[in-house]
Amino acid sequence: MADTAGGMHLWAIATASVVAAACALVGTLLVVRRQSLLGDAIGHAVLPGIALAVLAGARPGGVAVFGAAVACALVTVGLVQALRAAAGLAEDAGAGVVFTSLFAAGVVIVTLGASRIDLDASCVLYGILEMVPFDTVPVGGVEVPRGFVSSAAVLATLVAVAVPTWKLQVFSAFDPDGARAAGVPVAAVTTGLLAATAVATVAGFEVVGAVLVVALLVVPAAAAELLVHRLHRVALLAVAFAVGGAIVGYLLAYRWNTSAGGVIAVVLVAEYVVAALLAPEDGCVAQVAGRIRFAWRVAREDRLAAVWRAMEQRGTPASPRSALEHLAGWWLRVRGRIVGAASLSAAGRREAEMVVRSHRLWEAWLGRHADLPLDHLHPPAEWVEHHLGEAARRRIEAELEHGRGDPHGREIPPEA
Amino acid sequence: MTDSATPSAAGDRPVPLVEFHDVTVAYGRRPVLWNVDLVIDAPCLFGIIGPNGAGKSTLLKAALGLVPLVGGTVRFAGEPLARARHTIGYVPQRESVDWDFPVSAFDVVLMGTYGRLGWFRRPGPAERASARDCLARVGLADVADRQIGRLSGGQQQRVFLARALAQEAAIYLLDEPMAGVDARSQEQIFDVLASLRAAGRLVVVVHHDLRTAAEWFDRVALIDMRLVAAGPTATVLTPDNLRRTYSGQVELLREVGLAVAERGRTS
Amino acid sequence: MSGGLPCSAALVAAASGLSASPTGSTVIGMAVPGVPYNTLVVACGVAAVGCAAGVVGSLALLRKRPLVGDAAAHATLAGVAGAFLLTGRRDLVSLLTGALVAALVGLGALVLVRRVTRTRDDAATAIVIGGGFGLGIALVSGITARGIPGGGGLEHFLLGHAAALTADDARLLMAVSAAAIALVVFALKEFTLVAFDASFAAATGWPVVLLDQALVTLVAVMVVVGLPAAGAVLVTALIVIPPVAARQWTDRVGTLVALAGGWGAAAALAGVVVTSARPGLPTGPVIVLAAACFCLLSVVASPRRGWLGRTLRAAAERRAWAAGLLLDTCLRASERGDGTFTVADVTDGRTARAAWRTLEHEGLVERLHERTADGRVPRVAWRLSGRGLDRARQRRRRAADWAAAFDRAPAAARERFSLDLPECAIATDAGATRAT
Repeated sequence: MADTAGGMHLWAIATASVVAAACALVGTLLVVRRQSLLGDAIGHAVLPGIALAVLAGARPGGVAVFGAAVACALVTVGLVQALRAAAGLAEDAGAGVVFTSLFAAGVVIVTLGASRIDLDASCVLYGILEMVPFDTVPVGGVEVPRGFVSSAAVLATLVAVAVPTWKLQVFSAFDPDGARAAGVPVAAVTTGLLAATAVATVAGFEVVGAVLVVALLVVPAAAAELLVHRLHRVALLAVAFAVGGAIVGYLLAYRWNTSAGGVIAVVLVAEYVVAALLAPEDGCVAQVAGRIRFAWRVAREDRLAAVWRAMEQRGTPASPRSALEHLAGWWLRVRGRIVGAASLSAAGRREAEMVVRSHRLWEAWLGRHADLPLDHLHPPAEWVEHHLGEAARRRIEAELEHGRGDPHGREIPPEA
Repeated sequence: MTDSATPSAAGDRPVPLVEFHDVTVAYGRRPVLWNVDLVIDAPCLFGIIGPNGAGKSTLLKAALGLVPLVGGTVRFAGEPLARARHTIGYVPQRESVDWDFPVSAFDVVLMGTYGRLGWFRRPGPAERASARDCLARVGLADVADRQIGRLSGGQQQRVFLARALAQEAAIYLLDEPMAGVDARSQEQIFDVLASLRAAGRLVVVVHHDLRTAAEWFDRVALIDMRLVAAGPTATVLTPDNLRRTYSGQVELLREVGLAVAERGRTS
Repeated sequence: MSGGLPCSAALVAAASGLSASPTGSTVIGMAVPGVPYNTLVVACGVAAVGCAAGVVGSLALLRKRPLVGDAAAHATLAGVAGAFLLTGRRDLVSLLTGALVAALVGLGALVLVRRVTRTRDDAATAIVIGGGFGLGIALVSGITARGIPGGGGLEHFLLGHAAALTADDARLLMAVSAAAIALVVFALKEFTLVAFDASFAAATGWPVVLLDQALVTLVAVMVVVGLPAAGAVLVTALIVIPPVAARQWTDRVGTLVALAGGWGAAAALAGVVVTSARPGLPTGPVIVLAAACFCLLSVVASPRRGWLGRTLRAAAERRAWAAGLLLDTCLRASERGDGTFTVADVTDGRTARAAWRTLEHEGLVERLHERTADGRVPRVAWRLSGRGLDRARQRRRRAADWAAAFDRAPAAARERFSLDLPECAIATDAGATRAT
């Protein structure tokens, strides 16, 4: 299958998807631990390990390379901690020093050894996904790309480790002290995550290059986190996003004749942007819609309350204070809540009474419990009246215990 | 409530030094301080007292424009904040400071003169002399050149007090100056505050210790998410007022605050 | 806070002189015969960038945002490629303009993500890096694959390639760097105030947000002018590493800024020199490695904050402490009998023996002539020397004073005691305060 053009693309896509899934799985934990930049740091810092291992004769994608990368990741974290202990350096500054230095060392090693090894600076930066199908090994009689075999092994290992230890990871991410107190080996769990990050990074390295590994690790999880709230769902959705991004990214890169790694990263970020816009609860669209809905409700309630007060005092309603309130008045007339010059339908009256009730209850409560003069009670109530629900109103009424009047001596309407 | 020093002269009352008018403050959209009305019209030692999380520091920060007001106004001697800044000295809570920062105690005190100096001008001999003087007033002349992190907690707090002194203000706002400070430093700080009062300055102190409050402050305000009472210490620190401040009647305020933050009705 | 001024001012003058007048070139050309004029100007340009990056980076480090430039740096690649596609030219001004636009867009995106989504800062940074650098990689490799003329050199912006700079490019870098340094020097007071205590700065009316934006913009500008030498991936290191190294040597802001500038310049210069000898190497990694060596040296060997010095001082402190305790023991032992004692009377274990050697070395104890106890076994007897006796009695008096003071007023005594403590002990005390 690997000898046809289509087959080669399929192998490349399969490899990219497997790698993206592995990275997204690990990245989910990094994101919820607020350690995304650790992924970035490790992505850079494993380079000298990989380069030295390859220079020493290890096969790219072989176990020795993964081992060297894990060692580098541990050295990175160790160095950051040593800098903090020895120089009082904050973690971000320390990471900035360590990972740039290690990456620089890696680039120098790669450049100086370029004549002897199968690794050069451009593959470090761009990834070599396009090359993956050409280097195959026979697996059960089928020629399978070496890169796919090693990535699949990485994914399988990560899943095999992640499933039984997931609860420990969640516990120590959420509450390290509590976990330690409960006997969870937090240090081991953290080191395990670190090693997993390094392993996923080496796999991701081939697909998108050292720098963009951070996109594979973090972006799918950040997008998923906007949409669902349980951690295992975040992980599954992140994996789905990652695989989708890998496939779409590869196809677009082929079509545009450019680096697959770069386009995959851009597609992942595009997925994130869509998620941020359309997330049902606090996506941007939902936020704007909520703001508009609220403003509209305030306008309607203000209008209804104005008419209700006019009816109570047998006067004319106060005129609308904003264009939106004008519009609300017109709409309430169309819907039949406001009838004639200044009267309300039964439904309109019920709604208005709840607003006025909230207003006067709040005035009464403030008058009793806060040190406020009488003439200062109205503005806060005018604001809070739109926010009180039935339960809050009943509680305030219970706390007031006496009388049915507000501080101005007007009657507070009963709950509907 | 108007806490007037001269109730008889209602007609030509002096302009109050600090005036909170119907101040409501929110973090994000959640109100944490509701409708505070407070007038301080004479120089004195004024304590703002209340339980943890009552919004005492928030009130100070709101007065200084560090957190935005949702509603209401604050005026200093009748002026809005923007025009009164140079008359206000401020001592923030110590937690907000990076102790490893490469400055000496003297450098920190010198920062008090920056407001007078304005943009791009560097402190000259006059500012340096004033800073040295302020450091001496809090008894720390001999550690002027020490890096700020190498001082004890009480000394650090006194350095910040000295910085406020260097501002040469008419009104001093101090946020928990006695927190985490040893007894000697507390006394020293209090002596400096008393000397400020004697010099006709207003000193407003956020404080959480009721025992010392009664002996230190001329006037106090009791706060727990709203103003409970304000006035002369003896008349305000009554068992009834303290119960109303410390018995957690603010549960409702908290709930309504959350409802406001959710921008809708709770069920 | 004035230590940095003369040095930076001299640099500003030198750089602006270079960029403005052709006579500057003659001066330099005469100064170093045998080096091509172009190489010399490029070296000066890159050194100026290194200096300015260190200066601006010091402020970012003090403001606790050392990595603020990282996202912007990665985004610049897309700007460089975009500018090339739009203008079709490869002159430095248009490419760097594109880079600056991209850097600012990246920073804007960071602010936007932070403001309108639940995504936290770290992930937001990673998203901007991924999007910006991914787009940059896709554009650059698309341009390369299509063989657009002149597009080949864009790859130099990934890891830096100072040799590709012309003298005019270098003058541009010098001018921008000089302007950045001048700005920092002018507003050092303001930036320091905000970095040290932002809430005090805001309360006294300084526009904290504006100053922060100015700082971030300065960082973005330095990232952009650092691109040709250090490359998008590593230019952050120019901003971070020299200030971290400089911080180890001083407790004054002005000195910190000046040192960071000097080391940034030295590292950049080292990068240019090394890569001119080995043309295959990209400049960026070499600059970063040079800076990292300075940094390592500083963290290990700087006199006050360095690991080595602190470890040695702590050991000396422990030795002095043990020697003091041993001196007390000697005093008690000599008071028990005829004023003499044997080593075995006062020491047990290895630490005590080390302390004994200290006492011996400082001449606080002296050896008496051998004499025989019970007329049989020769016994080596010691006694406190005159100085030793004085020192031991003084220690006893001070301990008694302190105990009495502590009984009267514990807090005050503790404070006086902390003032008396040697530097090293207070430093650990401050460290403990930081840690809590």
